[in-house]
Amino acid sequence: MTEPHPRRAAVTGIGVVAPNGASTESFWKSTQEGLSALGPVTREGCEHLPLRVAGEVRAFEPSAAVEERYVVQTDRFTHFALAATDLALEDARLGQADTGDAPYSVGVVTAAGSGGGEFGQRELQRLWGKGSRFVGPYQSIAWFYAASTGQVSIRRGFKGPCSVVASDEAGGLDALAHAARAVRRGTDVIVAGATEAPLAPYSVVCQLGYEELSTCEDPERAYRPFTDGACGFVPAEGGAMFVVEEESVARERGARVRATLAGHAATFTGASRWEQSREGLAEAVRAALADAGCAPEEIDVVFADALGVPAADRAEALAITDALGAHGGRVPVTAPKTGFGRGYCAAPVLDSAAAVLAMEHGLIPPTPHVFDVCHDLDLVTGRARPAELRTALVLSRGLMGSNSALVLRHGAAGAS
Amino acid sequence: MSDRITVEELAELMKKSAGVTVASDDLQRQYDIGFDALGIDSLGLLGIVGELENRYGTPMPPDAERSKTPRQFLDQVNSALLAGA
Repeated sequence: MTEPHPRRAAVTGIGVVAPNGASTESFWKSTQEGLSALGPVTREGCEHLPLRVAGEVRAFEPSAAVEERYVVQTDRFTHFALAATDLALEDARLGQADTGDAPYSVGVVTAAGSGGGEFGQRELQRLWGKGSRFVGPYQSIAWFYAASTGQVSIRRGFKGPCSVVASDEAGGLDALAHAARAVRRGTDVIVAGATEAPLAPYSVVCQLGYEELSTCEDPERAYRPFTDGACGFVPAEGGAMFVVEEESVARERGARVRATLAGHAATFTGASRWEQSREGLAEAVRAALADAGCAPEEIDVVFADALGVPAADRAEALAITDALGAHGGRVPVTAPKTGFGRGYCAAPVLDSAAAVLAMEHGLIPPTPHVFDVCHDLDLVTGRARPAELRTALVLSRGLMGSNSALVLRHGAAGAS
Repeated sequence: MSDRITVEELAELMKKSAGVTVASDDLQRQYDIGFDALGIDSLGLLGIVGELENRYGTPMPPDAERSKTPRQFLDQVNSALLAGA
């Protein structure tokens, strides 16, 4: 008896809406050039708040990206998800003609850390300003961090398994892993990813309690992980959606397999316990490598979590060496998010998008604003570094204690 | 503001509350088509009822938000307005 061909999860489409580019192409161009999109917080109502620098998505007009009813009925983080989904499906050349007859073959998985803060703030202002009768009914669904999964499913008619991962910032990676598991279990396509819009005044106020948040006023100095000047992280909005598809089904329909989701694992070490995150992150990496059947030496690049808090940076640098051994000191590490901010659940998904693009272009994007690295890491700074990249490792930690690692393989590596 | 809710006002409320644009002429022609076909879900209709209650300062009948078509809806809310006048 021969074993049935194992189902593998392939990435066939990527859609990005990020502070440094509102399309996958513009995101990659800015990322590989190391351009910075960090700047002053310009959102109305944030003028007097101590958060001075963020990664805002400025080149995005919701009414140009989604239909009017979605502009009215959903929050900005869902607008990003709907727009990124359109870009990802277009990239995968997966349209109504492909899935219309089989709506149950396509599911949706998203992660979000903060939900629809902007929508919620507007309705709460109506509640306290005018009274409960002036709160719109869409408040009941728009603020909810599960909203984007539902709206993507409704708008596109996807009736396959749908879910929402609520596991901290690392949830972005866990959503991709969940998609990979759903595909291995039998669903042909999962649209997966994460988007966030945490820059409304209400949402910003909620973040002010995080001691890890950078309140530095200078965009050049506000987010410099792995340096002596590390003073916290800069938040960001936007995110990315992926089309994750069963590899043989994808190849059969002539789709381009851009990467495979080869392995993943997650651990938990407690909120802001950064020293302990060393062990948790290292264990996640070891388990992800085992899941992928990947030796440490096969990792060609690491996309770091890069929190920008000295104890957390130290823990991450040590975790990389703990898990990868001597190779951990040699493998190139990068953190392009220092150029556009750390978008909570969206951060590791944007890193995953950058990892796939890096493997395709044979180019490791640099870590903007970071020059003098004070840890034993080969951090790529200054400009992009050419390299043959077949396997990438993406790391993510959440402020509440989740640690996650994802192994991605270049698409051509899986061709046979 | 007239003492009757017109199809024009309904069209304006559909746009404002649910982001669904249907010209009032078209809405007039689709008087008996379902709200679902027009793209108005139950939350959208609830929002329209709430807006009308705030505008006219009078409660609308509970069945208004369960109306299936623009005709049913306008009949319901206008009979309430007449009764309240």
